Amino acid sequence: MDSPSLTDRLRDNPTPAVVWVLGLCLLLGAELSSIAGALVDAGGSVANGLDSVFGAITVDAVTAGDPTALLILGTLALLFLGVGLAVVPRVPFSLSRRIGEHLSYERRMLLDAVIVAVALGLVATVSIWAGLVDLLRVGGSPLWTGLEWLAERPNLTSRELIPNEGYQVADGTWHGTFLGLSPAVAWTLRVLVVFAYVGLWLGWLWAGYWWYRTHYRQADWTPRDDMVQRLRTHRWGQFGMVVVCLFLTMAVFAPSLGTTTAEADIYAPFSHTIEYFDDSSGEVETITVGEANQQTRSVGYEAENVGPLSYDQFDRFHPFGTLTDGKDLLTFLVHGARVSLLIGLLSVGLSAAFATMFALISAYYRGLADLVLVITGDTIMGVPRLLLLILLTVLFAETWLGSIYDGGVLLAVILAGTGWPYLWRSFRGPTLQISEEEWVDAARSYGQTPIGIMRLHMLPYLVGYLLIYSSLVLGGVILAIAGLSFLGLGITAPTPEWGRAVDLGREYVATTSWHISLIPGLLITLVVTGFNALGDGLRDAIDPKADGDIATDTESQSRGGGV
Amino acid sequence: MSRWQYFLRRLFLSIPVLVLGATATFVIFRFGPIDPAAAIVGEAATESSREAYERVREQLGLTQPVGTHYREYMTDLFTLNLGQSWVIAPGTDTLDLLLIYAPRTLWLAFWAVLIPIFIGIPLGIYAGLRANTAADYSISVFGIVWRAMPNFWLAIILLGVLSQSSSLIGIDWSSLIVDTPVTGPPDLSNLSSPSGFLAATKQILPAAIVLGSASMGSELRIARTAVLETINSPYVEAAKANGVTQRSLVWKHVLRNALVPLVPTITNEAFLLIGGSVIVEVVFGINGLGWLFFTAATNGDIPVVTALVFVFILVVVAMNLIQDLLYVLIDPRVGYEGN
Repeated sequence: MDSPSLTDRLRDNPTPAVVWVLGLCLLLGAELSSIAGALVDAGGSVANGLDSVFGAITVDAVTAGDPTALLILGTLALLFLGVGLAVVPRVPFSLSRRIGEHLSYERRMLLDAVIVAVALGLVATVSIWAGLVDLLRVGGSPLWTGLEWLAERPNLTSRELIPNEGYQVADGTWHGTFLGLSPAVAWTLRVLVVFAYVGLWLGWLWAGYWWYRTHYRQADWTPRDDMVQRLRTHRWGQFGMVVVCLFLTMAVFAPSLGTTTAEADIYAPFSHTIEYFDDSSGEVETITVGEANQQTRSVGYEAENVGPLSYDQFDRFHPFGTLTDGKDLLTFLVHGARVSLLIGLLSVGLSAAFATMFALISAYYRGLADLVLVITGDTIMGVPRLLLLILLTVLFAETWLGSIYDGGVLLAVILAGTGWPYLWRSFRGPTLQISEEEWVDAARSYGQTPIGIMRLHMLPYLVGYLLIYSSLVLGGVILAIAGLSFLGLGITAPTPEWGRAVDLGREYVATTSWHISLIPGLLITLVVTGFNALGDGLRDAIDPKADGDIATDTESQSRGGGV
Repeated sequence: MSRWQYFLRRLFLSIPVLVLGATATFVIFRFGPIDPAAAIVGEAATESSREAYERVREQLGLTQPVGTHYREYMTDLFTLNLGQSWVIAPGTDTLDLLLIYAPRTLWLAFWAVLIPIFIGIPLGIYAGLRANTAADYSISVFGIVWRAMPNFWLAIILLGVLSQSSSLIGIDWSSLIVDTPVTGPPDLSNLSSPSGFLAATKQILPAAIVLGSASMGSELRIARTAVLETINSPYVEAAKANGVTQRSLVWKHVLRNALVPLVPTITNEAFLLIGGSVIVEVVFGINGLGWLFFTAATNGDIPVVTALVFVFILVVVAMNLIQDLLYVLIDPRVGYEGN
């Protein structure tokens, strides 16, 4: 039966789609300048990187056998070949068919890919040689200036639109803050705007999905509808979703949520200044943030303590109080959330990729491959995780890997390297079951390649498990990062990390400066609980049969006990 | 595959795990980014220190060819000839260090396993028997939060509260019942006398509660699920229909069967405690194995660290085997369900 395509259905009833896209544009427009800013930053670093990479390839360097130049050339060649391999099966015509009729299908594919790669290489060489790159640069520069201009416009959630830093003069009025409001109110307003903006986005995405379902989707029902329905009645999972969304917002909008910028608060306090009203001289004075911080420390007694929801003597508002060195705790925490999330996502992504690959291999080939993986996994899991993390972070701290992103990349790699067996163990059972299905057998008898079978006929059934366990594991990873930085390992100062804040306040738990340890700890507990709840909800939604199954003991991942 | 074949298979599989783990420690020792000899001698700037450096390298076996060194290293490990410390306690045999530090960790682990069993499981069973009531919900939420709290945070909060306990909660912890300091290692020399036992127990109690916190949450949760699963199973229905009293139903038919899945949970949790002991021992100032490992690692005492890692692998493998053995003894289905 012929059914109208999505384009036809869109043409028949365009109103909801148009409304939705307009709404999306509006939402994007509110943040256009920060998006442009991100593009400018990314573009700038890509251009710099390309310049330094291609600057190394000169005719002299290649003929002299300079290793860097050769390495870059080799990588480029591989890249082109990869592009060729990806493109060839999707293009209907083949050059090699003319040349080598007698060759096997795979060989012809490879030949085609090599031809594409050589052609790409030729085009690249010619364009560099003929100065086409410079032409590109000239053509791109108006676009670039346009982006830069956009990046300087105010956006909805920027600090400049609703500034909260100012000073109070003798008659009680505020200067420098949004509409002359007090910093506390201005900051609260900005936080509310940020969360309202995120809420609108989520609501709009949900509306889009719903409209798609009611107006444009071909099928009346898909299995995914049931998952969504199960999630809609799952209060515990929804709690997790809310907490995870709050955490993600905190990480993404960290610059807007902080009461001050990370640069001024954490990285370079002595190169930033603030203005305050000096009561004794009756004038507005300027002081560097660093000097001001020295007088706003929280070190455990009444005279030197800036608690939560209070102002310091420089009229700065501290929703969570200050740290032992006078820095704002909230700013520290929101930027710390960013660090935790980045490392968490990187490490969970890496370990999920490893775990999936290994699970597919061990389920498809079984026998020796499975045995080797079992033994490797058992060995890694045989050393208590935290001990392994401590050992590896200490071992590799001084290497080049340890210096990227203040040890963050190293930490992510270590977490992935020690974490994949846990994920793999959870994936192995379901994958083994899938590999026994008839369609896998059928695909094999049709001559499908092993990689093709794993990718097309086994992997799609693992995606659900991937989601569930990634969510469960992410909470555990955030805990582990915090635990290590509590011990002074992993992410090094000054990069903010929640565990370090807990460590800083260690001696002041039972004093007036209790907030330094207590608030970060509560946040960690909340976020970890949230990820656990989300994982539980996803599991109940995606795989309701597994509900309450005691054998699925992956819970050890995201518990406080490890650290 | 019969139950004992299953067990034998597990026994055989643990051998390559041990060998691979020991090999990994060798790789760290010989090729790791931290040169053990350099960490011991420090900067090799002067002539004498360079000589000392060469001497240490020779003593550690680093000057031998890789093959010979590997063979010697592995033989030493598997005969429990664990070498000696060079940095944190120069000249002391690692085995002696283990004998000094292990009892405190064992004492801590003993209580950290026991407390969750006697608090978490009864609470979980209570919640499971009264499923979906207010009591159940509050117990479950308590378990979830208790489990998600990071040990390091819980430890410093507890420490802070206990050290100021007279002003915060009105009871002075350090003079309560017996006089003990809030931090520091327990005195295990006279455990046989009642007061000595009491003092040592009280001294370790806060650390054990923290260390066992996550286990308690897990065991609570699993006990609750297990009770729920058995209470809804057909044989309980049948027993109910036959007029079995509520009391005997709960004690005989539900609890007994609900305890089966708890056994592997308890052993699993005990295994996880080894890792957690590092943080708890560092915060509470108990110089046990976790503290030893942390100090050795951060000071670059590579010989001690690699030996300790091997010992930990050994302990974990042994615990896994015990768990398998228990499984085989308790659950007759093991080995028959395919693997």
